[in-house]
Amino acid sequence: MQKLSKVEVVNEAAIERALTRITYEIIEKNKGVDNLVLAGIKTRGVFLAHRIAKRIKQLEGESIDVLELDVSFYRDDREGEKNEQTAPLTDTARIKGKKVVIIDDVLYTGRTIRAALDAIIDLGRPDKIFLAVLIDRGNRELPIRADFVGKNIPTSREESIQVSLKETDDADQVTIVKVN
Amino acid sequence: MKKRLLVLEDGTVFKGYGFGSSKETIGEVVFNTGMTGYQESITDQSYNGQLLTFTFPLIGNAGINRDDYESIFPTTRAVIVKEFARRPSNWRSQMNLDEFLKEKDIPGLTGVDTRRLTRVIREHGAMKAILTDDTRSIEEITYQLSQAELPTNQVEQVSTTRPYVSPQNGRKVVVVDYGLKHSILHELNKRECHVTVLPHDTKAETILNLRPDGVMLTNGPGDPKDLLYAHEMVRELQKHIPIFGICLGHQLIALANGAETYKMDFGHRGFNHPVREIATGKIDFTSQNHGYAVSEASVNKETLMITHIEINDDTVEGLRHRQHPVFSVQYHPDAAPGPHDGAGLFDQFIELMDAWKVETKDA
Repeated sequence: MQKLSKVEVVNEAAIERALTRITYEIIEKNKGVDNLVLAGIKTRGVFLAHRIAKRIKQLEGESIDVLELDVSFYRDDREGEKNEQTAPLTDTARIKGKKVVIIDDVLYTGRTIRAALDAIIDLGRPDKIFLAVLIDRGNRELPIRADFVGKNIPTSREESIQVSLKETDDADQVTIVKVN
Repeated sequence: MKKRLLVLEDGTVFKGYGFGSSKETIGEVVFNTGMTGYQESITDQSYNGQLLTFTFPLIGNAGINRDDYESIFPTTRAVIVKEFARRPSNWRSQMNLDEFLKEKDIPGLTGVDTRRLTRVIREHGAMKAILTDDTRSIEEITYQLSQAELPTNQVEQVSTTRPYVSPQNGRKVVVVDYGLKHSILHELNKRECHVTVLPHDTKAETILNLRPDGVMLTNGPGDPKDLLYAHEMVRELQKHIPIFGICLGHQLIALANGAETYKMDFGHRGFNHPVREIATGKIDFTSQNHGYAVSEASVNKETLMITHIEINDDTVEGLRHRQHPVFSVQYHPDAAPGPHDGAGLFDQFIELMDAWKVETKDA
């Protein structure tokens, strides 16, 4: 019989701290928040993007545009499922000439991020694209790296990382799930 | 018990009884609103040269134990209480407050209305005061007090003169000692940091040559503006390495980056100071002990970001540098004594050091 072992590696306070630090770093790297756009990757990336936007608002007093990216149309691993309905966003003005920060919960192979890059560039030509992730778990398959990382958690491919956020799940926590 | 007088600069006289050491003493009279933690407070070097008043009416009922020292040779000038417990009751207690103060040669005053004294300080601001058994006239005592000069080299008095280590396996952290509390070392050691403590006048170059992962600037007594050499040191250091400043360390980071500090009317001393983290809107109850503060108007918003403010009077309680990996808080996340809400700041320091390490390796 298969047994699952679950270990909490990041708790609620640490998630909050990581997001606050990422917020500071985004402001620092951009020397302010002019022309900044946050692009959250569905589902949890969107929640994280909203949390970061809220922090920026409280710190700098400016509301930042938050895009919700659905990248399934652009994925390379779902050949058969491609379907025009999931092609997102047509509002070019929200991207053109902006500094876009892609936000996701876990960075793993890098394929989701590649799809997100395609999704954004399809829309328009941003000035710059950054990547912020809550967890970087390693094992990349593409030449992609994050500019802002909440926590580095080196893992093996046998393990999986589960991010729970209050917006959709019971609590804020990150767990490593391993099949024994 | 012998009669003893507390005479303030403005001529207010408090009559009480002496305990502890019987020497005469002069210093700035300050009040602490904490209900517990008198041992940590008395041994906190930030009270160097000050006459420490406790607003809580009964002090010393848990005695003095061997765990709660924040320094080995406290330099608090005097302890003023409403009533002290002659017979403590606690399983950790080693001696009572009177014996402790005698051993450390700190005079005490009991039997005075410390809450009235607090109201006087709140109204007039921080004042010089004298604690004496003398029977001279009040005029003579006030004259002597007005002639007395308070020392300005307080950090020099309390900082270590030689480097030492507080070993642990893990990250290498340099702590610059301006009057550190032992609990800071404890918190760092607990988080797997090998700590090297250096004297207050250490040069930036000496610190960098140790190749640490991060530097912590501690709490300490006195006016941060007097420590010009430390401003210089911080300015150089911050270009190269993550820095975390607490209390005096926070003020030094502000001064090094062009902000100003001012002497507060009566300071923040206690464990119930609400502080808002601006980014999240979350409120922490914090342990504080400071008589100086960073002036908000003087903070250059291009270089520094205000991250925390006190809710009651909007004092700047936290800063972050916009170009360098530097952050600081005015309050005491080590919380000895006090609520542990701020303990996450030590984790933040650890995370900052780790992130910085990855970043510089990439570059």
